[in-house]
Amino acid sequence: MKESFPYFELFGVKFNPANDIAIIVSAILTFCLLYWLARKPQLRPHGKQNVLEYLIEFTNGIVKGAMPGSEGSQFGLFALVLFVFIFINNQIGLIFQVDVNGDTWFRSATADPVITLGLAMIVLVMSHFFGVAANGFKGYLKGFASPVAFLLPINLIEEFTNFVTLSLRLYGNIYAGEVLLLLIRQLAFSGGPLALVSGFLLEIIWQGFSVFIGSIQAYIFVTLGMVYTSHKVISE
Amino acid sequence: MSIGDTLILIISFAVLTLLVGHFAWGPVTKMMATRADKIDADIDYAENARKEAAELAAKRQAELKNSQADAVKIVNTAKENGEKQRQELVQAAHNEVATLKANAQQDIAQERTDALNSAKNDVAEISLAIATKILGKELKAEDQQALIDDYIKGLGDANGSH
Repeated sequence: MKESFPYFELFGVKFNPANDIAIIVSAILTFCLLYWLARKPQLRPHGKQNVLEYLIEFTNGIVKGAMPGSEGSQFGLFALVLFVFIFINNQIGLIFQVDVNGDTWFRSATADPVITLGLAMIVLVMSHFFGVAANGFKGYLKGFASPVAFLLPINLIEEFTNFVTLSLRLYGNIYAGEVLLLLIRQLAFSGGPLALVSGFLLEIIWQGFSVFIGSIQAYIFVTLGMVYTSHKVISE
Repeated sequence: MSIGDTLILIISFAVLTLLVGHFAWGPVTKMMATRADKIDADIDYAENARKEAAELAAKRQAELKNSQADAVKIVNTAKENGEKQRQELVQAAHNEVATLKANAQQDIAQERTDALNSAKNDVAEISLAIATKILGKELKAEDQQALIDDYIKGLGDANGSH
């Protein structure tokens, strides 16, 4: 994974095909996985339906943790899709990384800050939208001046830092993981059978650890997104 | 910064959410809700069934007690009736036996009297016959005088005593 991408422009907008392909592939994988798990649901769940129900209970638990009341129920689907989508996005770059002529064509889309900023934007825009929907525009604006009016600047800064930290945490973890994978691979091919064997073993260990990191980061992203949403939706 | 990627991300995430919502989330959460309702209904049903069973058991217990009392009463009545009947039967049997005994004694006495009377007649006739025979064969009165006298005397005693 070199930091050079086969950019192209369409209608005056710049695209990075490495990100686009990864996003579309993981979206398709997410849909296929969930669709397959949800085939022919039965009153007595069997096999794969149990997996999906466990997953739904898990993300519902995240939502309930932030919003225990009834307002949380509308975010269940959002939390599920966000979690599975980010999880698959994080893992996909551990399995496939495609470099052609020095350009990177395929790796985790979440290893790019543009994408994680986009994901954080989706979450935060949704939180603001539902904040207005739940408390009215006045109540939403009042939320910035609470608990006391002079905290308004701090609240505004918090909005910004929430946005940046949410996205850059995910980006940093996934990017660092993939860079280290690349470095270990380079070590493995640096010459000599000892380097190859040790590099191979290290790569396996680091891949396993990255799977763990990717899962944790997906969980953290959804959890924090729901916490930020709850601040907007639940009026103190 | 490739802003186009953000557009693609937003569009694909929106489409993904819609599709998952329609094809996976919807059916499965509906099924989960149905299951929750069913479990709720089943628990209510089981609770009702348990209550009904308890009521029935109590009712049955009460009925069992009643029927036990009834049974005791019936047995006591039957015993009393049986005792009374037995007394009556024994009494009747005693009476019957007494009547029969009295009749039998009367009959026996009658028979005895009849038998004695007839035997008395027979003895007189036989004695007469024997006497005639004896008298007819040997008419030596001097030889048999004492015997005849004795005999006649005995006959007279036997006849006179009755």
